[in-house]
Amino acid sequence: MTRGATLPRPGPGQRPAAEGTLPGGRRGLPRLMPAEPVPIGLQAHLERFGPPPYRGAPRRLIGELEAAGLTGRGGAAFPTHRKLAAMATGRGPAPVVIGNGAEGEPASNKDKSLLWFSPHLVLDGLQLAAGAVGSPTVGLYVHRNSQLYDRLVAAIAERAAAGLDAAGVELIDAPPRFLAGEESALASRASGGLALPRFKPPRASQRGVAGRRTLVQNVETLAHLALIARYGPGWFRSVGTPDEPGSMLATLHQADGQMGVVETTLGTPIAELLRLPAQAVLAGGYHGAWLPGEQAEALPLANTALRPLGAAVGAGVLAALPADRCGLAETARVVRYLALESAGQCGPCFNGLPRMASALAELAGPRPAPQAQADLERWSGLVAGRGACHHPDGTVRLVRSALRVFAAEIDRHAHGYCTGTSSRPFLPLPAEAAIDDEDWR
Amino acid sequence: MSAITHTTALWYASRATGVVGLLLLSLVVILGILVNRQGRLPGLPSFAVTGLHRSVSLLAVLFVAVHVATAVIDPFVSIAVAAVVIPFVSAYKPLWLGLGAVSLDLIAALIVTSLIRAHLSRRVWRGIHWLAYAAWPVALVHSFMSGPDLRSGGFLALTVGCTLAVAGAAVWRLASTARQVPRAERAAVTLIRTRHHSRSGELARPARAGDGGAR
Repeated sequence: MTRGATLPRPGPGQRPAAEGTLPGGRRGLPRLMPAEPVPIGLQAHLERFGPPPYRGAPRRLIGELEAAGLTGRGGAAFPTHRKLAAMATGRGPAPVVIGNGAEGEPASNKDKSLLWFSPHLVLDGLQLAAGAVGSPTVGLYVHRNSQLYDRLVAAIAERAAAGLDAAGVELIDAPPRFLAGEESALASRASGGLALPRFKPPRASQRGVAGRRTLVQNVETLAHLALIARYGPGWFRSVGTPDEPGSMLATLHQADGQMGVVETTLGTPIAELLRLPAQAVLAGGYHGAWLPGEQAEALPLANTALRPLGAAVGAGVLAALPADRCGLAETARVVRYLALESAGQCGPCFNGLPRMASALAELAGPRPAPQAQADLERWSGLVAGRGACHHPDGTVRLVRSALRVFAAEIDRHAHGYCTGTSSRPFLPLPAEAAIDDEDWR
Repeated sequence: MSAITHTTALWYASRATGVVGLLLLSLVVILGILVNRQGRLPGLPSFAVTGLHRSVSLLAVLFVAVHVATAVIDPFVSIAVAAVVIPFVSAYKPLWLGLGAVSLDLIAALIVTSLIRAHLSRRVWRGIHWLAYAAWPVALVHSFMSGPDLRSGGFLALTVGCTLAVAGAAVWRLASTARQVPRAERAAVTLIRTRHHSRSGELARPARAGDGGAR
């Protein structure tokens, strides 16, 4: 089921949206989120879960994570135990462990919600991960200048006063950039530099923060880790599918404009999460892919089902495109945003993405220039795989899916018609773009 | 000039591939500078310049390889195989052939590191790629001094032309670095430049409500 806090942006004074907007009824959820939309303080956290269960033998936790089948919840779904095992067995100075709470994706709100409602689960996971890989240096990377940031400062101080943590946690400022949470950008920012993606190798796991091996885990992954350490892999696998076990947080954008974060299980039908039918469904956020509405109705939220279609669960963003909006216009707005979020380091990215944005804007207009679609397809092939990070690849994925799913709409535009009767923007985008290097700090 | 016979064929082959090799290497350096500065060639998108740089590099390597192989096999002058890679050990014109060996070693380093670029750190690859600026002048001096071919007539004009072109590209690179667009503005600048190609363009306008502003 998909119970859990269904809420707009976290913040005091904002009431969460009404519960019970989602159908279903499966046992054992929510796991990470509180049953009632009230943030869990240290006292309540300790009453509910007890102190973090440190182990004498760090390898034991890694074995349990492998048995649990926990994968990264930041979008890449990489097996968590493999990252930890590589870090625990590697040579050299002790590694650095960073919890990644920089949620640059404008359509995603689940990491902010998790940190707002269950900060201590994340902080437990951070300590347990650090213990498992033998790291005395721990950081939490989150967007600055928010009430959330102040709350986290207080939560960390409270834990330190209670003597809960083996390692002190340093909060690291993430700039409000789409790419700020990219692993190498994080490592650069945590080393005191700009949050710009770097060329690999070396990966952050080889040479990251201040040149040390660095384990970067999404905050939701850490929260799951903290629960697996307590209740074991069997408990973790009791929900979800054998291939993709456990629960996950998802950010849902309903066609009526309502946005909420829910805790659900992998394998849940998309039709249980979004109120369908919809014109189309965006899965996986702005580096994700559009799916035709009727196809999405038959699909579960699982990589085994989505990957063959060129889509992925990613960080758990699902958006139902309302019937009165133009999918091409929405994609054009998003691609323009993504182009302006280019770090300006790789030619194919900062030359190619703006061109693609312009061509897509052309396609989104009435009677577009005939070469616009061919240009888009050509540029897509030329920028994919050509950056220091996956920004060009993710953008191309979105563009190609739009050309596929909105093919009929392109045809309509060629004849001067458009599905969109409302010009109100649907998918959320921030107002600001970077104007100088300081905006990456 | 004497006729090409079975004894002189290798000698001519070596000289001819040497000249073409120098021409191609000059082109590679110029294309490399264009790639580095995001320069364009008429009718080609900037990523095609990168492809051209790579292809011409491999073609140049082919010519240099034939140039070296024929020079070694050619019985007219005896050049030890070791002298191909170890500088200044050749019995014949040790200094000028030695420069050729230096250039060959540098080019080999450039090609090998580029072929395994995915496994190297950006910094290492970039550092070694700077050696191109040493490899080319060394190859030029080697070509000019090893034999009389390039010192007169059309070949002299070709040599001077290559030198001027590479020097011009280097100066252009320095000037271009001085007036480069700051990193944070690059995507916005491209967006503004491409906007006028878009007829409808409404969505590309920065002031659209609820949209990110390019500023």
